[in-house]
Amino acid sequence: MGLAAADAAVTNNNDCGMTGKKPNTTAAALASATCALLGGISAEPVQAQEEKDWSFDTALLYYGESDSRVQDISLNVLAIRSFIDDRILSLSLGVDTLTGATPIGAAPFNGPQTFTSPSGAQVSTRSANEIPLDDTFLDTRVALAATWQQPLGRLNTVSAGVSISDEYDYLHLGANFKISWDFNKRNTTVSLGLAFANDEFDPVGGAPTPLTPMLDVGDVSNRNGDQSKNIVDLVLGVSQVINRNLLVQLNYSFSNADGYLNDPYKILSVVDSITGDPVARVPTPGIQGPSHEYLFESRPGERTKHSLFGQAKVYMNGRILDASYRYMTDDWDIDSHTIDLRYRWPLGDTRFIEPHVRFYTQTEADFYRTSIIGGTAFPTNASADYRLGNFDAITIGFKYGWKTEAGNQWNTRLEFYSADGSVPGNLLVGNQAGQEMYPDLDAIIFQLGYRFGK
Amino acid sequence: MGSPCEVLIESDDEVLSKKLIDVVATEAWRIEDKFSRYIPGNIIGRINSGDGQPIEVDEETANLIDFSFSLHKMSAGAFDITSGVLREAWSFDGSDNVPSNTRVNDILARVGWEKIGWQSPCIHLPQGMQIDLGGIGKEYAVDRATAIVLKLTNQPCLINFGGDIRASQTSVDQRGWQVGIESLQNDQTTQRVIRLQQGGLATSGDSHRFLFKNGIRYGHVLSPKTGWPIPDAPRSVTVAADTCTQAGMFATLAMLRGAEAEAFLEQESVQYWCYR
Amino acid sequence: MKKVFCIFAALSIAGCSSLGVEPWERDVLAKEEMQLIADPLDVAIDEHIYFSKEASSGGRGFGGGGCGCN
Repeated sequence: MGLAAADAAVTNNNDCGMTGKKPNTTAAALASATCALLGGISAEPVQAQEEKDWSFDTALLYYGESDSRVQDISLNVLAIRSFIDDRILSLSLGVDTLTGATPIGAAPFNGPQTFTSPSGAQVSTRSANEIPLDDTFLDTRVALAATWQQPLGRLNTVSAGVSISDEYDYLHLGANFKISWDFNKRNTTVSLGLAFANDEFDPVGGAPTPLTPMLDVGDVSNRNGDQSKNIVDLVLGVSQVINRNLLVQLNYSFSNADGYLNDPYKILSVVDSITGDPVARVPTPGIQGPSHEYLFESRPGERTKHSLFGQAKVYMNGRILDASYRYMTDDWDIDSHTIDLRYRWPLGDTRFIEPHVRFYTQTEADFYRTSIIGGTAFPTNASADYRLGNFDAITIGFKYGWKTEAGNQWNTRLEFYSADGSVPGNLLVGNQAGQEMYPDLDAIIFQLGYRFGK
Repeated sequence: MGSPCEVLIESDDEVLSKKLIDVVATEAWRIEDKFSRYIPGNIIGRINSGDGQPIEVDEETANLIDFSFSLHKMSAGAFDITSGVLREAWSFDGSDNVPSNTRVNDILARVGWEKIGWQSPCIHLPQGMQIDLGGIGKEYAVDRATAIVLKLTNQPCLINFGGDIRASQTSVDQRGWQVGIESLQNDQTTQRVIRLQQGGLATSGDSHRFLFKNGIRYGHVLSPKTGWPIPDAPRSVTVAADTCTQAGMFATLAMLRGAEAEAFLEQESVQYWCYR
Repeated sequence: MKKVFCIFAALSIAGCSSLGVEPWERDVLAKEEMQLIADPLDVAIDEHIYFSKEASSGGRGFGGGGCGCN
C-alpha cells in the first residue's frame, strides 16, 4: 500500500537520476532520494580528508662516488605534527656516515708524491700520474632541525626554526624565520625568510694557517685552534597561481658568509714555472714529511652570493612537470646555472614514475688555480679545490613510487651524477698540460623511502 | 534541534554575516516548529493524534515521508519512522533499566511502516501508531539552510546543527574547515580531526545514550523488527557525503547493520570513520 | 632559461587581477604532488649532496649547508 506512489515520487524528478554513483547501490538510491527531497538540486561532490596527527617521511640514501671516492650512507626522517588551526611542527633528523677518499688539491705529475696526513701524524704516498687523494676521510654527521609554523591573522603565515648539526670536526647552529602574505584570493603569496648560522670548525690536527707549507710529521707550528664563520641568508619569494594547472614561483636570495671559509684539508702544489712539476723538498733527517712543496689553501674571509630561482609546476592530464632554473653569482666570480626537470607520470591509481634530469654549470672562482708557481710572490688567495673550478654536471635518473593499501607510500630513486671539469689553458703550467688535472666525478644516488601517516 | 546550532562564515562583511545567520536561524526554527514531535499541534502532532483518520499533508511533509519510505526500502525495513513508540519502553539514560520482552512485544505491535496507509498526500496511521521524523530532520534542516545560503553568497560557510554539518563550498585557501569528532570518552577531547572543504559530515553515535545491564551495553539504535537495540552496533559512525542528509542517513543505515556496519560502508565506497 | 624569464615577464605585465583561480577551482593545485616542494625530504637530500659537490647552494629556500663538507 502506498508503494507505487512513493516510487513515483522518488523517480519522477529527472534531475536526480544522474548521481554519478554506481547504479543498484544504496549510495545511488540514497543520492537520488536525497536529491528529490532537497528539490532536485544536485550537490557538489564532497571533499573531506582525515587530518593525521603525525606524518612521517623517511629515506635511506646511498651515495657512492666511483674510484673509491666518497661513500655516504644516510638515514633521513622528517616528522610532521599537525595541530588544530593550521599549526604545524616539523622535526627532521639526518644521520650520515661518510667514508672514502677525496682530492686534496695537489697537482698530479709523473712521479710519486708523499704527503703528511691532515692529522700531522703520518705520511702517505701517491703514485705517479694520479690525482692525489686523501683516504683518511671518515666522518659521521648528525643533523637535527625543528620548525614551528602557524597562521598569523587570516592571510599571513609565520614560521621559526632552529637547526643543529654535529660532525667530528664541525658544529653548526642555525636559526631561521619566515613570514608569508597571501593575497589576491590566495593566488599570490609573497614571502620573506631570514636565516642565521654560526659554524665552528675544529679540524683534525688543527686549522693550518693559509698559504703556509705542509710540514713534516709532528710539526704543528702552523696549526691553529677552532675557526668559525657566520652566515646570513635572506630569501624574498613570490609564488603565483596562473590558472588551475599552473603554479609559478620566483625567488631572490642573498647570502653572506663571513669568517673562516677555507677547507683546512685542501692544499696546492708549488710548481716549477717552466716544467710545471712540483718543487721537490727534503724532510728533516730522520723524520717523515712531504716529498714536495705544498701550501694550505687560502680563500677570502667573506663571500656574498646572489641567486635568482624560478620554478613552474604544470599539471597536464594527470602528469606533472616540475621545471626550475637557478642563476647564482657571487663575489668570488663564480657564476652558475642550474636547470632541474622532473616529470611525474602516474601509472594507474597507485604508482608513479618520475624521470629527473638536472644540468649544472659553473665558472671557476677568481682565485682558483691548479698550483702555485715557486719563486714568485704568493697570491693573497688561492685554492685548487675542484669544487671551485670550472665544470659542468648532469644528473639523470628516476623515481618510482607506489602506494600501499593503507595509503602509505614506498618510493625508490636511482640517479647518476657526473661532473666533468676543465682547467682553463692559462692556468696550466708546463707538463700540467699533459696531465688529467681536474678530478672528474661520477656518482650514483640510490634512495629508498617510505611515507606513512599521511 | 535539541542541540547547539552554529553558522561559520569566512567573510569580513558584517552585514552579510548577520543576514546569513538570520536566514539560517529562521529556517532552523521553521523546520523545528513544523516537524518536532515535541511541539503539539504541528503536522507531526496532527498525524500522530489522527485517531485512525487519514490526514492530508503539505508537499514538504510528503517529500520527507517519501524520503523515509525510500530509506525503509533501502534498509530492508531496518529504518522505520514508526519505531519511535519503542521509546515508551526504552529510555537510554545510562541506567540498567532494560525492559521486559513482553513489554517490548506489546509495543512492537504498533511499529511497522507496512501498517501505515500512505498515498501522497494522505497519510493514515492506525490508532496508537506514531511517526517521528527526528532521524532525518536535523540533516534535512542543514541542507535546506545550505541551499538558502548558497543563493545569497559565494562566501564559504559551515552550518552545524548539533554535529550534523555541511560546508557550503570550498573555502578560499582550500584548506577547509577543521571538524573534530568527539572522543568516545565524552571528555570533550577530540578523537579525530577531519578537514571538510565542501559537502556534508554527520555522526551517529551512542556515547551519551545507552543502558548497561549484566555486562551488556545496550546502544540507542533500536531495531523496528525486534524492538531491541541492534546488536554489535558501532559506538559511533561518522560519514562524509555530498550532502548532510546523505551523510546522516549513511551513518544511520550503517548503525542499523550492527556488526556489518564497516562492511556496508566499504561496499558503498563511503568515506567514514567508525568507532566501536 | 629564457623561457622562465618570459613566464615571469608575462606575469608582471598581465598584473595579478586576471591571474589565478577561484577557491573552488583548486582541486588540482591542492594535490600533494602539485606543491612547490612536493618531496621535502628529496629536496633536503639533494641540497645536501649538491652543497658538498658544487659551489652553489640554496635558491629554492635557504642556502643549505651546516656541514663541513664545503
